[in-house]
Amino acid sequence: MTGSNEYKLNQGPDDSISAVKFSPSATQFLLVSSWDGTVRLFDVGSNTMRMKYQHSAPVLDCAFYDPTHSWSGGLDAQLKTHDLNTDQDTIVGTHDAPIRCVEYCPEVNVMVTGSWDRSVRLWDPRTPCNAGTFTQPEKVYTLSVAGDRLIVGTAGRRVLVWDLRNMGYVLQRRESSLKYQTRCIRAFPNKQGYALSSIEGRVAVEYLDPSLEIQKKKYAFKCHRLKEEGIEQVYPVNAISFHSIHNTFATGGSDGFVNIWDPFNKKRLCQFHRYPTSIASLAFNNDGTMLAIAASYMHERGDINHPENTIFIRQVTDAETKPK
Amino acid sequence: MAEGGDVDWELSKENIQPLRRGRAISALHQALSQQQEGDSSAINQQRQAFESELRMYDGDDPLNVWDRYIRWTEQTFPQGGKESNLATILERAVTRFTEENTYFDDPRYVELWIKFAGNCPEPLDIYRYIQAQGIGLKQASLYIAWSEQYENNGNYRKADLVYQEGFKKGAEPHDKLQQFHKALQARVSRQVMMNVEEDDSDEEHKQPERVSLAELKSRGKKKAIAPINRVGSAIRSVHSGMQSHAAPALGNASNSKLVVFDENKSHAGPSEPKLEAWKAPPTSKAKENKQKPGVWCDVKIPLKTKFGHTLMAPPPPKPAFQPFVEESDQPPTMTPCKINPAVNTVLSARKPCREETPLKRLQDHHQQHNEAVSGKPQEQSMYCKELLLSGATEFCFEELRAERYFKKMRQEVGGQKDEASASASN
Repeated sequence: MTGSNEYKLNQGPDDSISAVKFSPSATQFLLVSSWDGTVRLFDVGSNTMRMKYQHSAPVLDCAFYDPTHSWSGGLDAQLKTHDLNTDQDTIVGTHDAPIRCVEYCPEVNVMVTGSWDRSVRLWDPRTPCNAGTFTQPEKVYTLSVAGDRLIVGTAGRRVLVWDLRNMGYVLQRRESSLKYQTRCIRAFPNKQGYALSSIEGRVAVEYLDPSLEIQKKKYAFKCHRLKEEGIEQVYPVNAISFHSIHNTFATGGSDGFVNIWDPFNKKRLCQFHRYPTSIASLAFNNDGTMLAIAASYMHERGDINHPENTIFIRQVTDAETKPK
Repeated sequence: MAEGGDVDWELSKENIQPLRRGRAISALHQALSQQQEGDSSAINQQRQAFESELRMYDGDDPLNVWDRYIRWTEQTFPQGGKESNLATILERAVTRFTEENTYFDDPRYVELWIKFAGNCPEPLDIYRYIQAQGIGLKQASLYIAWSEQYENNGNYRKADLVYQEGFKKGAEPHDKLQQFHKALQARVSRQVMMNVEEDDSDEEHKQPERVSLAELKSRGKKKAIAPINRVGSAIRSVHSGMQSHAAPALGNASNSKLVVFDENKSHAGPSEPKLEAWKAPPTSKAKENKQKPGVWCDVKIPLKTKFGHTLMAPPPPKPAFQPFVEESDQPPTMTPCKINPAVNTVLSARKPCREETPLKRLQDHHQQHNEAVSGKPQEQSMYCKELLLSGATEFCFEELRAERYFKKMRQEVGGQKDEASASASN
């Protein structure tokens, strides 16, 4: 039931998709990492796969450093950077356990990785080389960059806020306000706070400023739940992506739905049609005109028959993404 | 003093918790050296391997995995403590099998319960719960450990009764039970002998001694003056507390009586509750070290007037003037400071939660299980919740899938090796 504003990407990965990320400057380039061990670069405008490179094991996250360099890491615990012009790989470094997150901080010009070895490592993208290892209290499950701040979500529902310019000590240690495991954290483009989702159908909106008046504004809401025969079915909320201009955000859950939320008026702006399977990852492009939706079963219920993995590119309008 | 080569562990022996079964020296050395070098990645990997085995195991003896995991934890963390996570693993292990009768007489399972009881603030409550559930009734080790607990509390009578119970139930191995029972009896009789000796020596000389908090006969006609010689006949009466007189010399009549505890008067020890069928284990009453840190600054000590009424101090009035604010171009730079959670609970790392003890959690688990069996659940989690949370540490979806992937890779590599060797031998 896709309208003319939505289409599927060709030559997608052969296995589950772990992450989709748009280029920070070019509105039509998309990186896709997958459990088939590949990282692919797509030109979504012409719907073509431009490049593909391989890891020796499933890849869990990828990120652009600049329009011509992609960074990726996964179960092989190796951090790779790939030059998209020359199609050349370089292994930058390793973690002691699989790498779960890869992000770039433009303000400090540093790549950040988080791993199940309970550490966050910083990397200088120019040389490229390691710029420090920072132990976290638990395995890192998600992380996001807000200006020069790094927000890390770990096991045990902990959230840590670091200053990327001064990693000598943790700025803030928090406990997630949601009762269940943290699934995804994404920072607001205005750097005021972050949205945090859990595996049990809830999202929390929190603020970075520790002063009491600001902290009072934080809230949480239920979402991605379906009522069937009187029983409420609760789904994990796997993906969050912010619209860079409006500061509204989209969430994707294992129920196959994508919702767009206005965090300031605390309203849902829009819900798209149901996708064939769980939403594994979401990404707005940098001018907020397109949303990449990775519909990919994540084995949340074990190894069962599932629809094939697809990446949908949807053109979004202000009506869907702008606060009213 | 140990003789022979490697005795490095002697240097830190006060930090090493003793194990009932003793420690393997090689494991102890490795654990100590790993800690010295701060090398935790190997330990983390090993722990992750156990956690994934717990989730992926599909044989018929899941207890085996838990048992090995717990043994490894004990050997790898000689000091015990929070990092080992041992308390959590034990609790999960015993809770996991509370409904599985097949394990009830398995000596490994009983051993887990004994270790768990040792970690709890009220072990005796746990033992009674075990008995009520019918776990380990034929295991000598249960009665031995239980009796030991009574003995530690100084209750020899109960310690002996436990052995009687064990004999009655025909606990095995019988010889072991008898042997430990005899040892207990020997200790008890030694204790009695020592007490008897002390009593004898007491009666020999009894000089008049001062008694604390005794009422003395006062000298003097107009004013009550305490006597100089305060022994023997100078004592008017020995009360267990001070009493206010008809004509108070000090203080107001409204001063409440200070009752001083007299241990000889009170009944001996808390009475044991009757052994009746337990539906759920009792809540623990020990509050030490169980309270989570909470906000302290809003507890006020009420003020008292001189008549003894409690007053709340009026809040200080707002200053009538406007406090001076220095004008400057820039706002003060944010100097990094540590946010003290006691002062600012907004970002407290650990929010104060209701008091939880292992027994309370067992009770909740029991209730939940009964509810789930009888009633229809209102909420259904559409993901493999048990798999994520079933171990002692949590997993995320990707970790679960990663473990399946690694297992498959290992099998494939193993298969390839077999093929290679098969074709090589042909």
